[in-house]
Amino acid sequence: MSACRLEELGLVTALGSSARANLERLIAGDQSRFGVTRDHVSGVERPFGAVHEPLPEISSRLARYDCRNNRLALAAVSQIRDAIEAEIERSGAQRIALVIGSSTAGVQAAERAFEVRREHGALPDCFDLVQLEFGGPAEFLREELGIEGPCLGLSTACSTGAKALLSARRLLELGICDAVVAGAVDSQCRLTANGFEELQALAPTLTNPMSRNRAGLTLGEGAALFLLTRDPGGVQLLGGGESSDAHHISAPEPSGSGAIRCLRAALADAGLEPSDIDYVNLHGTGTLQNDAMESRAIASVFGLDTPCSSTKPLVGHLLGASGAVEAGFCWLLASAPFQLPLPPHRFDGERDPELEPISLVRAGQVATRRDGSRLCTTSFGFGGSNCALVIGAGAA
Amino acid sequence: MISFHVRGSAAWSPGLETAEQWAKWAHEPRALEREGRPELLFVPPLMRRRCDQLSRMMLWAAHACCPAELLPEVNAVFASRHGAFGTMVGMLEELAGQRTLSPAAFSHSVHNTQAGLFSIWARNPRVSSSVAAGAATFGHGLLEALGILHAEPDRPVLYVCGDEAIPEPVRGICDHDQGAFALALLLTTHGEGAPLDFALDTSSDARPLAYPDALEFLRWLRLDGEELRLGPPRAGFRFRRAPTPSPSAGTPDSC
Repeated sequence: MSACRLEELGLVTALGSSARANLERLIAGDQSRFGVTRDHVSGVERPFGAVHEPLPEISSRLARYDCRNNRLALAAVSQIRDAIEAEIERSGAQRIALVIGSSTAGVQAAERAFEVRREHGALPDCFDLVQLEFGGPAEFLREELGIEGPCLGLSTACSTGAKALLSARRLLELGICDAVVAGAVDSQCRLTANGFEELQALAPTLTNPMSRNRAGLTLGEGAALFLLTRDPGGVQLLGGGESSDAHHISAPEPSGSGAIRCLRAALADAGLEPSDIDYVNLHGTGTLQNDAMESRAIASVFGLDTPCSSTKPLVGHLLGASGAVEAGFCWLLASAPFQLPLPPHRFDGERDPELEPISLVRAGQVATRRDGSRLCTTSFGFGGSNCALVIGAGAA
Repeated sequence: MISFHVRGSAAWSPGLETAEQWAKWAHEPRALEREGRPELLFVPPLMRRRCDQLSRMMLWAAHACCPAELLPEVNAVFASRHGAFGTMVGMLEELAGQRTLSPAAFSHSVHNTQAGLFSIWARNPRVSSSVAAGAATFGHGLLEALGILHAEPDRPVLYVCGDEAIPEPVRGICDHDQGAFALALLLTTHGEGAPLDFALDTSSDARPLAYPDALEFLRWLRLDGEELRLGPPRAGFRFRRAPTPSPSAGTPDSC
């Protein structure tokens, strides 16, 4: 499929509430931003990549959508609002679409409402069922921005954010719109904290991907929203690949075959060879199974020399939002002037000898830029849902 | 405007399974039932046991709609406004009661559970997507399916849309409890007969339809309607049968 331009990026993570703050701390490998969250049921405390800055309030007109998830989305979209409004001016509100991913939607608001129901026998009046709809964040942004084109919520677990960008590209390709606001948002909630706790997937201390001591993932929250157009130049979504493991509902296929298929599909779609890729942002969750499977897939597709890192030790695992946020990190790196700085792979340095010895980025490492950098990011989700994106400088 | 063919269709709702039952329903529609789930005997028992009502209805419709040889080959799109709503509400009740979640329930609560179960059951390694879009879920899921079809025109797309009945604890605050159903459509770029045209419908007049959009679409298919408009005002969809290029004149209508 044709490439499309990733015009603008609004980004909110534990690293900061602007694209610039994210880039600086990303390159520095800043791990100081984590807080702590306590599982509501077991009382166990875990590190958590919470967004620090206060979030914008949702206008009273849209009170039914008010929840932390939509406030995170609003914080991200506010950063690119001028560009969206210019696009509405240029093409008309009916020619702009939304594809917004989320795996939590407003479930945090629903948790509070169900607690009230348990105490008082009824759901509170302020609770709206839209909070439990996976299409809710897209609907909120449509109302907030005055967009009148297609408005799609997408949710495929941890591949959501990456797939939302490919869905947006397909809408542009269909010609049904001229620009798309696309990305994903996810927020802290008891449901995911307890669910992953019960799956014994959470690390007691900060996630430690690719280490022999790795003990699971660390959760985080945030949002990344792009404005996509068919325009040439700038940083482009050069290609994408998707596949299904057809293996297990919550565990990846151990040989990495599903991951390999989506990576090869992404490269073929972009018309690139593995050696054309300057950096791979790993899914790198720090679970035993993911890292074993993913290091195999990376070694099989790229060999052992392509620089790779997981940025989850900097922001946490943002679940559905992670694919969009990590595409956002690639976008920031591709937009940076001069040499391409790479985000270091932060872990305890004790590589697991059982894993393929892929090239993990060291602090201060810089990629040798060729005619324009090309980066890849991987996402693998429950249900065996896999997605890889290729992002890089487009032809002017 | 986007053209496509519907090569096959199948639907399930409590008491409505066979083509004959749906043909009768198309002529004399009635409100859908809330309870009940298909047997799903073609799914291995261990997986069947994990399937909630939505997964059962969607897998049943997918199995009935898609020829066996295409099951591992198609790209697939699943659309549901609320997903496995009963499972989700059950988990919220557990958390409110300070009880831990069942790992199996949690693993099966993601919105792409049905897409995942489909790929595992059908041994299908291809592209899949899971969509939700409020009152306009059916049309937007179809749009996603058409995007995927357009990107790979020679590969059919299996599109499955459905919802459970709204679970009791939230029924009182819900304005769209339409009963339980799932519809599967096998979409292709080429096929026999006139293609269908899909377009956005931004007109502001309301489209007061009594049944879920997915089943209004099925009725329209079965009743050979000319035009169908679905979805909320200003954000709807319009379907038309494209004129057949060279109609065979004088063919007697056998019905």
